[in-house]
Amino acid sequence: MSVLTLTTQEEVSAPPHVVFGLFGAGAGAGWVFDALCHRVAPGAAVTLRAPLDPDGAPIEILGRIGALRAGRLIEIVHDQPWRGRTVLRFAANGRGTRVRLQSELDQQGLEWLLRRRGHVLRNVHCENTALGLLTSKSGPGNLFAAASDNMATLALEEINADGGLRGHPVELVVGDDETDPVTGAREARRLATAGCRTILVATTSATFVAVSAAMADSDVLLVQTLMNEGGVGGGLRIQLGERPADQLAAAAGTMMHAAGGRRWFLAGNDYCWPRGTHAAAHEILPRLGGRLVGERLVPLGSTDFAAVVEAVERSGADVVLSTFVGADAAAFQRQCHEHGLHHRCLTLAPAMDESTLTRIGTDATAGLHAVSGYVESLDTEGNATLRSRYRERFGRWAPPLSTLSESVFEGVQMWFASAVLAGTDEPRAVARAMHGARFELPRGTVTLDGNGVVGQRMHVAEAVGTDLRVVTSS
Amino acid sequence: MDSNMAFDALADPVRREILGVLAAEDECSAGAIAERITSVGRTAVSTHLRVLRVAGLVSERRDGRFRYYSIDSSGSARDVLSLLHQVFRAGLQSVDGALPHEVGSERLA
Repeated sequence: MSVLTLTTQEEVSAPPHVVFGLFGAGAGAGWVFDALCHRVAPGAAVTLRAPLDPDGAPIEILGRIGALRAGRLIEIVHDQPWRGRTVLRFAANGRGTRVRLQSELDQQGLEWLLRRRGHVLRNVHCENTALGLLTSKSGPGNLFAAASDNMATLALEEINADGGLRGHPVELVVGDDETDPVTGAREARRLATAGCRTILVATTSATFVAVSAAMADSDVLLVQTLMNEGGVGGGLRIQLGERPADQLAAAAGTMMHAAGGRRWFLAGNDYCWPRGTHAAAHEILPRLGGRLVGERLVPLGSTDFAAVVEAVERSGADVVLSTFVGADAAAFQRQCHEHGLHHRCLTLAPAMDESTLTRIGTDATAGLHAVSGYVESLDTEGNATLRSRYRERFGRWAPPLSTLSESVFEGVQMWFASAVLAGTDEPRAVARAMHGARFELPRGTVTLDGNGVVGQRMHVAEAVGTDLRVVTSS
Repeated sequence: MDSNMAFDALADPVRREILGVLAAEDECSAGAIAERITSVGRTAVSTHLRVLRVAGLVSERRDGRFRYYSIDSSGSARDVLSLLHQVFRAGLQSVDGALPHEVGSERLA
């Protein structure tokens, strides 16, 4: 990894153990020391809110605490928006402390910052086959996408180590939609200009829909890897991932049985995927014996969910169907827990993922369930080796895998297998080869029928601390 | 400045190390930079400084027989690196103000 290290130091007029104790304490000690974390311990999730945009919202640097030596050192290993380490060292200096900060910035990070600051970079056209990945490195989607870039990188490194595509390495070009559809469309056009003939889209459906419309005249295959509500058609559009109707059919019975009741409250973010999931719930839940007692949608990027939590409580619901995503999902769950809602009802959150669980924290995940085709703890041979390769490559503090990020690894593998089968990376040929195909992947067997409809096993999982453990599979 | 030449210039670990040094200083003499970069000799540091200058990442000022270097103030890399440096520094500078009161009086005693 090519890395540039920025160093700065300050004298603080208190002894090292006092200054060390300010980290994560929310004491108004500046944005570095006011890092958001539930505890200061190795492995704990950390969010640094860096005021890098003087006129806008802080940029979130997401990571975990790595090494920790009381009164001496705090290491933060971060993955969003770029990979690197930020280390704080404390040394006694007279009666005070010298605090030294070193922060790594890699080439991708520098490029990301230059673009974010509005600098125009020459769009280098890749000499080799280029595969695009559109992900969310910033905005509320940065949480669920934390491992997506890593997953694409690992998949392509393995493919290239095996000789690449027809003897040539495949290059990865990454775009950041900032969890915003308009930015996503602009970034997708940039990836296409760089030579990407296929772009894997691992963002919200709102971005996928916008990218699909913006690229209507381009000869580029767009593959949405993660769960979605479907509905975007055409020869150059493939939507992999779980569908709401399948998820609800797999989980509704288990949830009502566990909750001992049939009343459902639907709550989520106001964009196409939650709306599509709620529409499926209106159709499917009554058929399975459920009764809908309330529904609320709030904009993506909300932070205060008090009104929704109160509405859930008033409704007397037994199960909350939570279709919040990313940072919203984490905040909603914590606020439900603070309100004691977990004593009264269970929550089914189809898009809940392990990365978001680390931000909710071990103490606030009681009663939370997910339903998906993959969880990091999934007991398949393919997944056991994927986990160990991932940790070996990106280290023990890299963000957890989830169905949302692992779908990117599988998307790369499916694209590659289809390009090999088609004998070309020409997008229409690749798309044809993906249809009617069967893939053996870390999550198990995944099929695409002639219409591109995905078939896979579904698992209902319960949050245990910050892990998801499978309860039932179908 | 051409950001892309900057990327080519940044492909070398020693040049990135030099920029890391300059990001923390307003200006640095060639000798002072060479003292901080221990992985290669003085001549190699001079060569790397020339590449960085041609790429528009650093600017050079001559004063007699001395040469002083700083990150090019007109460049986009300067914008990003100095912003990042300032933001981290400002983050640390706010620590003192948050110290518990008794610690503050202890230091006055």
